[in-house]
Amino acid sequence: MTEILLKIINEILDRNGKESLQTLDVQLSLRNDLGFDSLDLAVLTVKIEDQFGIDIFQNGIVDKVYEIINVVSRSE
Amino acid sequence: MKRVIVTGDSGGLGHKIVTNLLNHEEYSVIGVSRQETATIMDLRQEYKERYQHIAFDLSRPERIKDLFSNRIKDIGPIYGLVNNAAYAYDDIVTNARIESLERMYNINVFSPILLTKYVIRNMLLYGTKGAIVHISSVSAHTGYKGLSMYASTKGALEAFSIGVAREWGGYGIRSNCVAPGFMETPMSESLTPEQKRRIYKRTSLKEETSADSVAKTVAFLLSENASSITGTVIRVDNGTI
Repeated sequence: MTEILLKIINEILDRNGKESLQTLDVQLSLRNDLGFDSLDLAVLTVKIEDQFGIDIFQNGIVDKVYEIINVVSRSE
Repeated sequence: MKRVIVTGDSGGLGHKIVTNLLNHEEYSVIGVSRQETATIMDLRQEYKERYQHIAFDLSRPERIKDLFSNRIKDIGPIYGLVNNAAYAYDDIVTNARIESLERMYNINVFSPILLTKYVIRNMLLYGTKGAIVHISSVSAHTGYKGLSMYASTKGALEAFSIGVAREWGGYGIRSNCVAPGFMETPMSESLTPEQKRRIYKRTSLKEETSADSVAKTVAFLLSENASSITGTVIRVDNGTI
């Protein structure tokens, strides 16, 4: 799952002209560390939903990478 | 092939919009409306490969999520959305009934907003630089007795469209409105000939708006020819000024 998540996050970073991540630190904050705004988070949501069939924001705000992993793991 | 969702495809204007788009080989159409009419069956016959109809009641916006998950998601990328379906609850405001208002807002405002939500999500998933067209009404700009409540739904749609244009323009997604004048469609058939005469007299061209002209404007806004147009309203109303 982390490989797919890393690929999706890097696609968004690439679109924003930012450097790709080599590895995924689960403590990273999407907003503060990666600089994602609400539109980036919408793109992240639809791409994760396409891969894992879950809307990560359905039950509240998600910010840390580990929170995404937890939400997706619970649904599997 | 560019897939476009058109709501209210069983109605007078909706049918014109669908046939106009299908006249262009580049489009396929997913029609969404409650009724399976003879005109829909004719479209199925004539455009087997490029037209499909989904029966769905747009007065139930809470079911739109399931509509996308169960019926639309697997179809693939969506290029366009035409929010055309509308319900006209016409009366003077002192007679306002909440049940009728709720039904009208469900069909005219809440369903278009939720359809836009899922269409834009689809566009983001596939990286589609798509186009959304909302059908507004001349009544959002010019006052008519008995249409204040209906006009309020169209004003809401126009304001929504401007915000969507601003939100998603950076992803190449456009959102525009067409505001038609009064047309000879089933929606206006409750008007008496005298009421129609007075309405048409208020226009510069002194006649009913051509539904064909409205449908062609919708096709224009969806097309590449309108690639620099977003967040605007095109009035197709015979010059109601």
